[in-house]
Amino acid sequence: MNYSLATLWHERPRFLPGIGAVAFSAVLIALQCGLLLGLFKITSLPVDHTSADVWVGSPEVNSVDLGRPIQLSFLSRVAGDPRVDEVEPYYQAFASWIKPDGGSELCIVIGSNLENGSMGALKELTPEMREALTEPNAIVIDSGERGRLGVNGVGDYAEINKVRVRIVGETKGLKSLAGPYVFCSRPTARLLLRNMTPRDTTTYYLVRCHHPEDAKALAEDLNNEFHDRHDMTAMTSDEFSFHSRKHWLLKTKAGIALGYTALLGLLVGAVVTSQTLYAATTASAKEYAILLAMGIPRRKVTTTVIVQSLWVGLFGIVLAYPTVHGLAELGKLFGVVIPLPWQILTVAAAVTMVMSMLAGLVALRSVRQIEPMNLLR
Amino acid sequence: MSVPADDQPTLRGISLYRSFSDGGRTRNVIDDVTFDLHRGQITLLMGPSGSGKSTLLAILSGLLAPDRGQVLARENGHPVDVWRLSPREREQFRLRNCGFIFQGYNLFPALTSRQQLEIVLRWGDGVGGRDARRRADEMLALLGLKGKENKKPSQLSGGEKQRVAIGRALIKRPRFCFADEPTSALDWGSGQVVIDLLQRAAHEYESTIIVVSHDQRLLEHVDVSYQLDDGRLTESDLPADRGLEPWRTGS
Repeated sequence: MNYSLATLWHERPRFLPGIGAVAFSAVLIALQCGLLLGLFKITSLPVDHTSADVWVGSPEVNSVDLGRPIQLSFLSRVAGDPRVDEVEPYYQAFASWIKPDGGSELCIVIGSNLENGSMGALKELTPEMREALTEPNAIVIDSGERGRLGVNGVGDYAEINKVRVRIVGETKGLKSLAGPYVFCSRPTARLLLRNMTPRDTTTYYLVRCHHPEDAKALAEDLNNEFHDRHDMTAMTSDEFSFHSRKHWLLKTKAGIALGYTALLGLLVGAVVTSQTLYAATTASAKEYAILLAMGIPRRKVTTTVIVQSLWVGLFGIVLAYPTVHGLAELGKLFGVVIPLPWQILTVAAAVTMVMSMLAGLVALRSVRQIEPMNLLR
Repeated sequence: MSVPADDQPTLRGISLYRSFSDGGRTRNVIDDVTFDLHRGQITLLMGPSGSGKSTLLAILSGLLAPDRGQVLARENGHPVDVWRLSPREREQFRLRNCGFIFQGYNLFPALTSRQQLEIVLRWGDGVGGRDARRRADEMLALLGLKGKENKKPSQLSGGEKQRVAIGRALIKRPRFCFADEPTSALDWGSGQVVIDLLQRAAHEYESTIIVVSHDQRLLEHVDVSYQLDDGRLTESDLPADRGLEPWRTGS
């Protein structure tokens, strides 16, 4: 038997706002984190959807979309290492997209090898699309970006950096944050990016190791060997993916925005929960006062309030869990992907649980106010 | 079985004074009060509203410090100066010795009759769940509340609620039981049940019971009666034809 739980159940209407507030906080934190994770997964999408073990790019490149041209001659630095199986150039740069109706948009051109087994061709590019992309000035876009690019789909024409291009295929689910991705062959990319990527340069070298587990050591060795020249950086795919997300998280201040929103949610939750517990304890002040008069230690009442706060927290989280998943499913209907890995759910639950307990501690002032003598007046 | 009133008082108030500030004016609520209470007796403290009855009860029970004077309680044959104990020691003294009954029943609305009693044993004395349940059920049966163990206050009548409140006060068999207007919210039938239960407590547990009330009907059922007027205490006469004195018969 648990007196705290019995009280909670008996006075459900009184405790519901607190439980709702905890649920609100947990939902807000989980969704915010999930949204942000979903958002920043997009930024590392070219790294995550290709199959290189190591990326070699311009010095101190923080994010895959920020690569500057590096010399094609660096190939010899990389290809000579006995751990390396294959090396291929990969182009990626922002470009100006002119819509058929004349409007303009910033896009990201990605040019890679297209043959089977090439590292730079994204998994979503089917053999048919790759075949079609071998035609000069052929491109593939994502169907979700039609609106931004002002086209209707396959067969449409547009201009990239004043070169006329034709859409030959569409992927699904490769939406971008900064500008729509445009996939093409290396020769087409060279042509489209001729002003940004001079002759004898590439944006990245993608490296495949004989043994993928050598990737980390290879990247470190390359960085150490050419450290003094300050003209290139090597990273494993995992590192580059992480750096790309982190860069966007920090540079865009989205992390700070998330922090503030989560903090706001927590504050609202804490205040409502604290007030709920305070009101509940005050409502039972006379009953507690009798126990105190009979010499029962005040800490027993204190413990009851804290245990109540834990129950409120637990019920709030139980309520939040299906709500978060429901909202994430709803998001899918509108094309918003909200990943909810267990780490996010655990952190949201833990943070709100701590918040609930802190709210309980704040509400303890109600216990300090209980005075048995008041019963006799 | 009978329990004669002990010659030695179990609770003594000696030269008690207590004043309160009232709008810049100091008012003596308790003014040089001295009196003794005995084991196995019910002492009634009467007086008009504002006469200081509840204040005196609070001083005697260790809830409100007197300005001057002593409260001596006998615990295991030894006198304890209640107001010379530290707050923690006083709390433990009350835990070992004191039960309280108030006019408002002050029962936890969420808890059953059984739980109202159990909570005192479990929180106060750390009694195990099974033992607490057994003792609570025994006490409820003694109070005539068998079958009401699982009822919450909202499912009980006023008299039943007061009986649960009495059970809560008596469950740990206190040496001292302090009752503030225990019958004033009850019809006389229920009030008689309450006073009868207090008599049984005095009788069976040898408790020292002090009842504060302005209910004249109680005079017939108590051992000693005092009148408090403007903070001063006088012993008042009890009716000659008092009906209930069960524990004295045969003494």
